[in-house]
Amino acid sequence: MVQEVAIYLVVHQPRRIKLPAQPIPQGVSAEDMEKCLFDERLNQRYFDKVTRYCYIPATDKFLELVEKGMKISISFSVSFLQQAMKWGERDVLPRFRKLVAHPNVELIGMEPYHSFIFLWDIDMFVKRMEWARNYLAQLLGKEPTVSDTTEMYLSNDVYFALQKAGFEATFMDGRPWVLGWREATHLYNYSQSRLKILIRHHSLSDDVGYRFSNRQWCHYPLTADTYVTWIQQTRGDFVFLGWDYETFGEHHSVYSGIFDFLEWLPVELKKREVSLATPSQLVQKYAPTAYDLPLPEFGSTWAGSGGMEFFLGNSAQQAILRLMMSVYNKAKLTGNEKLVDIALWLAQSDNLHLIQWYGRGGGSEAEVSQYFTPQEWFQLSPDGIIWHQQQVYKNAIRAMDYYMRP
Amino acid sequence: MRYKKITPDNSVFVILSFEGPDLYSQAGGLGFRVTELSEALAKKGFETHVIFVGDPYKPAVETLNQKRLILHRWSQWISKYYPLGVYQGEEEKLYDYNESVPYFVLDEIARPAVKEKKKLVVLAEEWHTAECVMRLSDLLHYFGLRDKAVIFWNANHTMSFDRINWGRLAFVATLTTVSRFMKHYMWDMGLNPIVIPNGVPDRMFQGVDSEKVARFREVFESDFLLLKVGRMDPNKRWNMAMDAVAELKRRGSKVNFLIRPGREPYGGEVIYNAERNGLYVYNLNLSKPTFEELLEALQEARDADVLTLNFVVEDEYLRIFYYGCDAVLANSGMEPFGLVGLEVMACGGVVFTGCTGEEYAIPYQNAIVLETADPVEIVNNLYYLKSEPAVGQKIRREAKIAAKRYAWGQVVDNLLRKIEYAAIMQKSDMED
Repeated sequence: MVQEVAIYLVVHQPRRIKLPAQPIPQGVSAEDMEKCLFDERLNQRYFDKVTRYCYIPATDKFLELVEKGMKISISFSVSFLQQAMKWGERDVLPRFRKLVAHPNVELIGMEPYHSFIFLWDIDMFVKRMEWARNYLAQLLGKEPTVSDTTEMYLSNDVYFALQKAGFEATFMDGRPWVLGWREATHLYNYSQSRLKILIRHHSLSDDVGYRFSNRQWCHYPLTADTYVTWIQQTRGDFVFLGWDYETFGEHHSVYSGIFDFLEWLPVELKKREVSLATPSQLVQKYAPTAYDLPLPEFGSTWAGSGGMEFFLGNSAQQAILRLMMSVYNKAKLTGNEKLVDIALWLAQSDNLHLIQWYGRGGGSEAEVSQYFTPQEWFQLSPDGIIWHQQQVYKNAIRAMDYYMRP
Repeated sequence: MRYKKITPDNSVFVILSFEGPDLYSQAGGLGFRVTELSEALAKKGFETHVIFVGDPYKPAVETLNQKRLILHRWSQWISKYYPLGVYQGEEEKLYDYNESVPYFVLDEIARPAVKEKKKLVVLAEEWHTAECVMRLSDLLHYFGLRDKAVIFWNANHTMSFDRINWGRLAFVATLTTVSRFMKHYMWDMGLNPIVIPNGVPDRMFQGVDSEKVARFREVFESDFLLLKVGRMDPNKRWNMAMDAVAELKRRGSKVNFLIRPGREPYGGEVIYNAERNGLYVYNLNLSKPTFEELLEALQEARDADVLTLNFVVEDEYLRIFYYGCDAVLANSGMEPFGLVGLEVMACGGVVFTGCTGEEYAIPYQNAIVLETADPVEIVNNLYYLKSEPAVGQKIRREAKIAAKRYAWGQVVDNLLRKIEYAAIMQKSDMED
């Protein structure tokens, strides 16, 4: 039975695009183009909301817990960090800086804009991961050696890209279609390569991440002692749990009891003699006995059914992916770095996540997608959202025509 | 119920419009209307904000008229990409206007006004501001301030009526328009706008320098000296005017037709038709000419049948032209109001109007009112006036009297009374 648990938290806010699509003036500067493409007012509104419900109370709670000995690992998208610098400079960013500085906290790398750039430019992905590592080091004072990717995507090529970028380990969601007969509770690597893989325990993670406040769930209400019992009864070396940071206070409100659960979790773990570790500590300890894991060529993610279906499962998402690639290619052709940067923002995975519900009758996955779609958009109607979202990309591609002139 | 009056102590005005006082912002009558209306309100002591698509290279905010008139040049960051004027990049500007103006009005004008126990009076112009007005009303409602505001939305024209959500607009604002003709037009759409006509600025009544008029007249040795000013739009019936000039020429009369057209592409068709009809068209390209330079240039071009004035004609010269010509052809087929016609009348000129929104014009009393699109109707009336000079003199006298009823000061008084009524209709909580 497992003796150790590692907790991983992902802090991310999307840079939402502006809907309805804003027409872009001809000959526009890259800075003005950004104004037309991204809805900073909406982004601030959501940032402020999540700050109130999650970033402040949850970080205060984690600061208290790590001080008492709890160990956690945490990653930040640059998308979030830039918003925090703009709108949370006084109350959010200092809290996270303090949290990251604590010796019991490991900083994890992440694709900076939370994009799917690795699907069509793996070289750029490597550069972006290297850039992100330096960015995090400068901003938060720690250099990550372990890295996650967008939506915990992992495939054969991305594995080697992360290794090339110099990371020691990465994560993968423990879905049966990838693991097969293997257990999620061991350390793995691929093809005897250096980069180690920690497997997120899918069901134990989602018990908290998704099901915690579901009153229809047979285990509702979940308490820390029950949860730790489940952990303790799991076979293997360790359990690796991965959650959105916003699970605490935003996805599950304070009234759900999530903060009480969090407070009691380390207490119950200690009671059952299950120790907390950081991913790096697990890698160090289990590296000599790491097992081989065949990696999928079709990448796995931690969303939906564990593949890319959640992001590319409907025709609207497939259209956006094509537009993401087109806008990126066009930006590359201009040779303008700022435009490439804009194209990378537009490659943000959230733009696919937010329209997963389109054309579906409903269901739990569609509910998750709809939850993250800005409610302000629905006045455009579902078809209107799709039309305007595509228009944002088309506008960007056309606006770059000006930069192609000799 | 006591009568509650709109005064500078209890009200702040906001005029929402694409067009405005800057040269960049003027494309037709609306720019002048907004300029004159805002100045007239400020002169009456009202704090008046004008939010318009202004010149991108002028200050974003400018305060005039003893700090009572505040110009807010909007969308300058977009306009800098569109140097050709207010309607270039129209869709881009429209988006920006709709997105940002309502919040600005709420935070920067409405809230401070309410704090001072003042009512917000919003006068919005044309289809471009319809969406903005609806969003503003919703915002004010959301923040509990809707009953502190009276909102008017004015139709100066029927352009882009198809883009307006009338049900929503009529619910949130009192609709107004500029003539009874427009009122009847909108009745057919199930709407009942209040009529608040356009006005004429006081300077139009100042009279013209008779010596300058005489020198202007001396340049031409023609039987008929005519003028037409306006956008190049089929509704302005440019072809009818050109055909009339050609017909006069065919009948052996010497005509000089001065035109000050807009830069719309339809102008190409008009000039093509004029030349095909045997008219010699001459382009007069000048830049801020003095009166002497202007006369000299006209002298050189006087053999032309049609003289195109390709420059900004200053107000003073325009008044001389209005008064000095035998007739100004404001012969539109569809005119919501016809500001040019009224301005000509204010100067004591003879105007040939159409017969739609120009309700100030009474045939053979203060103007010639054309009933058809037939150029012969123009020709016939010109020969009639030539043969009966006394009628022309009477028309000039009566025209001035009629136009005075539309001086901006009078129009604003009319407007204020209608705002007071609309405040009751909109259940706006008026401070005593």
